[in-house]
Amino acid sequence: MTLIIAIPSKGRLKEKTLNIFENAGLTVEAPEDERSYQTKISGRNDIEIAFLSASEIARELALGSVHLGVTGEDLARESIPKTDDSVDFEIKLSFGHADVVVAVPDAWVDVDTMADLDDVAADYRARYGRRLRVATKYWQLTQNWFGQHGIGVYRIVESLGATEGAPAAGSADAIVDITSTGSTIRANNLKILDDGIILKSEANLIRSKTAEWSVETKILCDDILQKLRISLK
Amino acid sequence: MLETLLTHLRQNAPDIVDVPILQPADPFLETAGEDLRRRIFITETANGELNCLRPEFTIPIGMAHLKTSKPARYAYGGTVFRQERRGTSEFQQVGLEDLGNTDIVEADAACVNDMLDTLGVCGIQNPKIILGDQNLFSVVVENLGLPQAISERLVRNFGDADLVNNLIDQLVKSGAVSPRNSELDELAASGNRDALIDHVSQMMLVANLSPKAGRSAQDIADRMIAKSAEGHFQLPAERADVLRKFLALETPLDQASDALISFASESNISFGDALTLFQARAEKLSNKGLVYKASLGRKLDYYTGMLFEAEVDEISVAGGGRYDRLCTLLGAENPIPAVGFSISLDRVEEAKQ
Repeated sequence: MTLIIAIPSKGRLKEKTLNIFENAGLTVEAPEDERSYQTKISGRNDIEIAFLSASEIARELALGSVHLGVTGEDLARESIPKTDDSVDFEIKLSFGHADVVVAVPDAWVDVDTMADLDDVAADYRARYGRRLRVATKYWQLTQNWFGQHGIGVYRIVESLGATEGAPAAGSADAIVDITSTGSTIRANNLKILDDGIILKSEANLIRSKTAEWSVETKILCDDILQKLRISLK
Repeated sequence: MLETLLTHLRQNAPDIVDVPILQPADPFLETAGEDLRRRIFITETANGELNCLRPEFTIPIGMAHLKTSKPARYAYGGTVFRQERRGTSEFQQVGLEDLGNTDIVEADAACVNDMLDTLGVCGIQNPKIILGDQNLFSVVVENLGLPQAISERLVRNFGDADLVNNLIDQLVKSGAVSPRNSELDELAASGNRDALIDHVSQMMLVANLSPKAGRSAQDIADRMIAKSAEGHFQLPAERADVLRKFLALETPLDQASDALISFASESNISFGDALTLFQARAEKLSNKGLVYKASLGRKLDYYTGMLFEAEVDEISVAGGGRYDRLCTLLGAENPIPAVGFSISLDRVEEAKQ
């Protein structure tokens, strides 16, 4: 039985992941056919590498169709229900840093915290005839975070791109989005709430709990994890 | 069983309204909030309209009622659908909605008594009824003379014990808001509303925010000034104790009035009309098995007064309450008094085993 590892299929996430594997003595071979998304590790017939998009990797880990995968913690927490029951976050990979944050227009000079946002959301309907709207692609993270802060009366507006433009476009009042430096947020005249950091995310090597684990694949997995941990020290 | 119960309920609640299983999702999400989304079954039509499987009857009945002007008592029953619920996702509910009756005491008492009566028909004779009253908590908070925003925050979170307790703890430590923009903070502190509005308007202009789309510069400035006046509010320990003491009250309903009176005199609280109403209602309720629990509430902004739950061996079989703000949220021009209950038939079966 082979161990299946999913790796991001493009961009910086792919390069960085391949580097880390390379440094641990695990060279991912280029696929035989360049259109193929499957390959192996040099000299290892017991490991299969699958190139997938970062969000697919989160989904496949949850489904258990791959044993290990590299993806952002944000995507894993967003797309895997009851995340910690389905996967283990094994190794933080120190790249792909980004925070999932709550941001409001900086003209809202009276709003600095989630408690302020709660106050504002509470009488939004009475004042403006509708609930406060939050643009995001992070439905789960937003619902959890707002719930923890006791905010129930608001609406999520799905946003699949340029979320930070939603307040100026008039399609939302606040946003929940990902940012690495905060510059896009500031450039759009928004500000992150003091206690508005939902998650400090980075790329993680994640192990699926739902995948089929034989004794061999378990040993193999522990070995790979150990190699990566040592080389990352 | 469902038909028997409906026939029985209709003796006292003759008005009929049709509530289809497939409902537009928006009224539910707009009234109960985004929190509800993960607890209901949503489905999207080909052109993007959101529908949901009927998660309850109250909101659709409230909406249907807006088309009439007369007070009405609706009996309802049927299958409802909920996610993340203990037990099955699909279960039967029967219940009653009493809309438009301005005699609050009479309507409240009739609602609880009809529920007890219907539970009796179900074969549940002596449920434990826990009764709360959101009004009393609001009055306690009002009496403490807290800054308005803090009072509102407490009242809003009532019903969620963790949130309320955390909030009280936090306020005792310090409700401090740290100033960050000295210029604006000074404007707010000196109450220079016009200058503050100018400043915020300018920021909105730069950000391309339409003042008509949501919060206006005036609203922002006013809240900033109000917040500044609250300053570093810290809840004095003895006032926090008053809140905690009130929330801890739990007593048989026939002794609740005495308990509230002695709490009020010890804590220097005046309940006024809220207590008169509470007493009048309590007198109309059969006292058997009824318990008053001060902390019982529901963190939904349309609930306004009495709240109750029926339990058998800690299985919650039914519940209900007063929600005078619901119809306004649904679009009624004037407030419509509303009270109702629902019984979950699967829980009833579980309790009988």
